[in-house]
Amino acid sequence: MNGRFTPGIAAILGLLAIYVFVAVLAPWIVPHNPLRQILLLRLRPPLTYSPSAGWFLLGTDDVGRDLLSRVVDGARASLMVGALSVSVSLLSGTVFGLLAGWFRGWIAIVVMRIVDIVLSIPAILLAVLTVAVLGPSFANLILVLGLTRWPRYTRVAYAQTLQVATLPYIRAAEMAGARAPRILLRHILPNIAGPLMVVATTEFGLMILFEAGLSFLGLGIQPPYPSWGSIMSEGQNYVASAWWMTVFPGICLFGVVLCVNLLGDWLRDRLDPRAQSR
Amino acid sequence: MLRHIAGRVGQAIVTTFGVLTLVFFLMRLSGDPTLLLVPQGASAHQIAILRHQLGFDRPLIVQYVAYLRQLLQGNLGMSLVQRMPVASILGSRIPYTTELAAGSLVVAVGIGIPAGVAMAVWRGSLLERSLAALVFAGQSMPTFWSGILMILLFGVVLGWLPTSGVAGLPSLIMPSIALGALSMASFARMTRIAVLDELSRDYVAAARARGLSLGAAVVRHVARNAAIPVVTVAALEIGNLLAGAVIVETVFAWPGIGQLAIQAIAARDFLVVQAIVLFVSFVFIVMNLLADVVYAVIDPRIRLSS
Amino acid sequence: MGIMKTAFLAAAITTIGIAGLIGAPAPALAAPKTKLTVDLPNDVATMDPQLQWDTDSYSVYRNIFDNLVTRNTSGKIVGQVASSWHYKSPTEIVFTIRNDIRFQDGSKLTPADVVYSVERITNPAFKSPQLSQFDEITSAAVTGPNEVTLTTKSPYPVLLAQLVKLSIVPKAYIEKVGNTQFNLHPIGSGPYKLADWQHGVRSVLTATPGYWGGKPPFEKVVFRVVPQDATRVADLRAGVADIVRQITPDDAKSLQSDHAVKVLAVPTERVGYLFVNAQWGPTKDVRVRRAIAMAIDRKGLISALLGGYAKPVNVVLTPASFGYPTGIKPWPYDPQKAAALIKAAGAEGARLPFLTSPAYPQNIIQAIQQMLDQVGLKVVIHQMDQASYLRDRQGTPQEAGSLAFGLWSCACQDADGTIWPLFHTGSIWSKYSNLAFDKAVDAARSTLDAKARMADYHTAFEILHRDVPGVGLYQADAIYGARDQLQWTPTPNEAFFIMDMKWK
Repeated sequence: MNGRFTPGIAAILGLLAIYVFVAVLAPWIVPHNPLRQILLLRLRPPLTYSPSAGWFLLGTDDVGRDLLSRVVDGARASLMVGALSVSVSLLSGTVFGLLAGWFRGWIAIVVMRIVDIVLSIPAILLAVLTVAVLGPSFANLILVLGLTRWPRYTRVAYAQTLQVATLPYIRAAEMAGARAPRILLRHILPNIAGPLMVVATTEFGLMILFEAGLSFLGLGIQPPYPSWGSIMSEGQNYVASAWWMTVFPGICLFGVVLCVNLLGDWLRDRLDPRAQSR
Repeated sequence: MLRHIAGRVGQAIVTTFGVLTLVFFLMRLSGDPTLLLVPQGASAHQIAILRHQLGFDRPLIVQYVAYLRQLLQGNLGMSLVQRMPVASILGSRIPYTTELAAGSLVVAVGIGIPAGVAMAVWRGSLLERSLAALVFAGQSMPTFWSGILMILLFGVVLGWLPTSGVAGLPSLIMPSIALGALSMASFARMTRIAVLDELSRDYVAAARARGLSLGAAVVRHVARNAAIPVVTVAALEIGNLLAGAVIVETVFAWPGIGQLAIQAIAARDFLVVQAIVLFVSFVFIVMNLLADVVYAVIDPRIRLSS
Repeated sequence: MGIMKTAFLAAAITTIGIAGLIGAPAPALAAPKTKLTVDLPNDVATMDPQLQWDTDSYSVYRNIFDNLVTRNTSGKIVGQVASSWHYKSPTEIVFTIRNDIRFQDGSKLTPADVVYSVERITNPAFKSPQLSQFDEITSAAVTGPNEVTLTTKSPYPVLLAQLVKLSIVPKAYIEKVGNTQFNLHPIGSGPYKLADWQHGVRSVLTATPGYWGGKPPFEKVVFRVVPQDATRVADLRAGVADIVRQITPDDAKSLQSDHAVKVLAVPTERVGYLFVNAQWGPTKDVRVRRAIAMAIDRKGLISALLGGYAKPVNVVLTPASFGYPTGIKPWPYDPQKAAALIKAAGAEGARLPFLTSPAYPQNIIQAIQQMLDQVGLKVVIHQMDQASYLRDRQGTPQEAGSLAFGLWSCACQDADGTIWPLFHTGSIWSKYSNLAFDKAVDAARSTLDAKARMADYHTAFEILHRDVPGVGLYQADAIYGARDQLQWTPTPNEAFFIMDMKWK
């Protein structure tokens, strides 16, 4: 983890690629319909075989759905939540940060005060409140996560823009008559993209966990559709009696979050010249 | 310096006011508690009567002004659900929240910082990788799952710790671990980077050239300077530890303000939610101000005005 | 890759290990004889018995206060503060008040306290959410040395059933300390008094010496607040709690292997039902509503998901309530016929919004969804928080969606408290209107003649059966987990009387 491209980091990237691959191909590789319930076969342990329905490799859940199919299909929802909500907050957060850092003055004051306000309300409370107002749906879930997390990017983008904007070549470009949008996109954005990517990777894992937390509170992905968080929250009452309901989605979730965290750390080391100087 | 502090306090007031306004309108847009209070068979007319008595049929702006006026008099109001002063409801929960925040900070700092130092000093070794795995593992599990697993193992199977509730120090251990594990990684990460940063400086190389061992160098020079970013993380994490503990508190039946907040939102007990958010954002702001001051103490080179 | 592998392995081994170990029974603890510890899912909202009546608050404060009348273990209404009563006229009922009851501050409970209790809860300025249960009462007066007369607007047959929920509060004390203090430091005439109340943590009750109704079975009762189902079960198994309220049927099943604890269950007056919107969307067509009734396999739901802790019902009411009709058969479970009806109505693939909140059992809702999808409908679940759910469910027919699952109890064990609010024209819950039905339930509400009321309800339920504005699914059990040594028979109205419990 010293910023060089090691076999370790290759393995992490490989594992993440497998996750994405499985998520994308989910509809074609699930052994059963992930929504199909067989009430008579509920809470069966892994490696259950039924003459009429076939194998349930990871067992079944509390309404008799195939857990393997749900975990595979759930990868899609969980990764989508992570990717989309990070995109929303990355995009809006960066735009605000760039604007505040470039124009400074009252724009910066207003933007950074709003950042302070949103940051000082605990994210989970803000999310629960917003879901209560907007009503539950996948789109709203993304919106809620995006709305509560953008300030983290704004802070980074703002600080970085302030620094970069004073660099001589930016000043030169400005003198040469380049317009603000062009300077921001062509010159400043590439310079601040690194730190933003570091934030985005760790946030990706956090968002997946956040969705699990909201599912636990009954405000996540709408049933009967699976996400790892919703499968686990349905299984929370069966941690002892039907451990498979939480263990398998838990391991998948754990793996992804661990991978992106390690990836984020590696990226950070790579981008920070001081940290790798030794 | 004084001007700087005055400026920061001014900002804090603006922020607090913004938080208040945002939460006030979000809450009101989400409905009101009347429907949750009446018995199932109540008629539309009976509900309208109660709503009127509780004052929720007034225009939003009127309710808002009334709330601000009341707040300016230092009055947090009465809970409409529990029918007692919000201040006493909140007051009874704050000690528990503080205990849990302190407990989890001890876990996070106690494991995160040594792990971070070790990860920097023995960089690239097997030890670094194992520590990284441990530290990140804590951050990669949903707390409702790790919490229930701990309860079953240490509470039911082994019988070492109380399964839930508050009963002295033993009952604080499991919730602190569950919550502390979440911020442990932040501390480890910041510490590692800060220590690496310091270790790469010339003065450390010089000290080592003089024959000082690596361990002594870390203790003597690095720790002091590396403390600054760590203090920042601590200030940022406080907000999460206070009300982000919603799920941990629910699982362990820990009566802190996180659990109170989620119950108050569910019950649309507006004044309680507003008071909690007010409290948390206040603590958050104060902590960040304090972090500023601590920087100045740790490192006099940093002027407060910068 | 070392990191990942180690971490994965550790996580997997720990969790599977714990799951395996959990099968082993917890060490049996010596039963404390003088203290009872109870886990409730929620904190007491108010100790003032006239401000809240949710099941958890009621479980605690009902042991501090005596009510005017109560129900015995077999469900019959019997006196408590009142020793007897008779109707002077169809709108006047005279109660004889016991004269041997004292409040916990030593003062005597008098007829004036009874009158005060009625006037307090029915005074709109007091803002009691329970007002709607008592607003038929127009006056209360002391009419003799030990006599109180209540007058109602019109003949009101459910009065006694409602009065089961009226706690008698001390007039002098409340007038002295005020409502806020009374809520924090309540004084009643019940078997227990409040010793300590830590909000959100626990309420501690201690026995009242010389209680008029006998010696309370425990010196001390501690009610703890434990929101999470799994945690309450863990508390019970670890011996932290002696009895826990509200556990799931699956947990009940897994507790059966533990010999230190037992499951106490009783069929309640709570009915699980499916609301079907008769005034909006695809379900406006009665054929679609009938098809829905025929598509649901009640017995399958009960045996698979409720572990037998429920009984099928024929209508939207339970046999624990007055007015449950005999002789009305439910629509038979017949998915083929249901599919044909839906085809005939041209509703194949119609989208039906299904409103719900985390307060209801998710597996039942998802199972119903699949049953309806299998006969050709397209059910879409909208899960929101309880406050938003109530807002939409009680809103306009359009807002209320096509379907909703409910668990209804009026805590009065009478059809009037169930089908009147659910289906009467103009009620906030009702998305249905039938004047013949309205006439029948209105008539049953305004006569004291039990036979005539039964006949009216029979008519009403026949209409509901034809029109299907709702489908009765099951009579829900209240399920408690308790230490094996605890003896108690729970009751259909979910009352939690410590007086009825004892150690073996």
